Amino acid sequence: MRRYEVFLKKDGKDEYRHAGSLDAPDDELALVLARETYLRRAEGDRLWLVDRNHLVIGPPEFVAPNADKPHRHNDGERIAERRRRLRDLGEKDAS
Amino acid sequence: MTSPWNDGIREFVLAIADDEHLMGQQHAEWIGVAPFLEEDLAFCSIGQDELGHAATLYAIVAGDGDPDGIDDRTLDKLAFDPDPTRWRSAHLVEVATPGWAHALVRHWLYDAAEQVRWELVADSTLTPLAEASVRAEREEWFHRRHADGLLDALLPTADAGDRIRTALVDLFPLAVGLFTPVEGEAEAVATGVTAAPFDTRLPEWTDRVRQRFVVDSLPDGGKAPAGRTTRSDAFGPLLSRMREVLELDAAAIW
Repeated sequence: MRRYEVFLKKDGKDEYRHAGSLDAPDDELALVLARETYLRRAEGDRLWLVDRNHLVIGPPEFVAPNADKPHRHNDGERIAERRRRLRDLGEKDAS
Repeated sequence: MTSPWNDGIREFVLAIADDEHLMGQQHAEWIGVAPFLEEDLAFCSIGQDELGHAATLYAIVAGDGDPDGIDDRTLDKLAFDPDPTRWRSAHLVEVATPGWAHALVRHWLYDAAEQVRWELVADSTLTPLAEASVRAEREEWFHRRHADGLLDALLPTADAGDRIRTALVDLFPLAVGLFTPVEGEAEAVATGVTAAPFDTRLPEWTDRVRQRFVVDSLPDGGKAPAGRTTRSDAFGPLLSRMREVLELDAAAIW
């Protein structure tokens, strides 16, 4: 048995989304079984199946180190603060 | 309603309906116990499709050729009729299978025969039957891919391949019985309800069986009881399983 990751997409602008996984002996049966396991109620219009063996998987030690770089988190707070300050200054000048 | 209708045509349609119903029931009994989860879902879903075809056909029978306005209770009366003399099913769909290999082989044999059967009524003068054929073929195309996909994967492997070939030897004679003319078929042919007698396509189906299972010789087709008016030993227990919930409370309204 191989394990497949199942992606579904509705027609329109939505992207493909991960729906789950399934076990099947080959690609043909994976297609057939995906239809019954994930598309019984017309949950998508398009289907991608990815053999899990073909995934490129990032090891955790490769992914983790960026957690300590708050300067990369652009939440807009500092710019908002500067704008607020400038607006307050401007209002004072006008009065 | 301009479609032809008489007792012979009724028998003819009823036989297809009973086959579809019992095949659907048998497939659905694999829920929870098929070899793996995805297969469990797929096989029961296929069974559900067959039950849908049966419901359409029973509605044609109950409405004397016109299925419009036939309610569920009327369908249930036919589908769960406790009187064995009302049934016209082939013995292939009545027997209990000893395991998954038999269930799979029956699934393929039945669906290959069904394909031919639906083709014969695709241009039926009985309009609702022609419409049912179009709808069924859309689903059957998928059923066949399912059965073929499993056989492609399993036939070349030692243990599974042996089990499948054993199942074929056991089930082939019963499957040939599907083609035994039902009483009324002559009238169905005469009125254009079906294009030709079902057994005129038996050689073509047999060739497909030979190719599919890669066997040179097949067991003797055997003699199926004529007219489909006798039930196999397996029918009683199957009908009891089907009626089990109904009989928990005979007075309940569903």
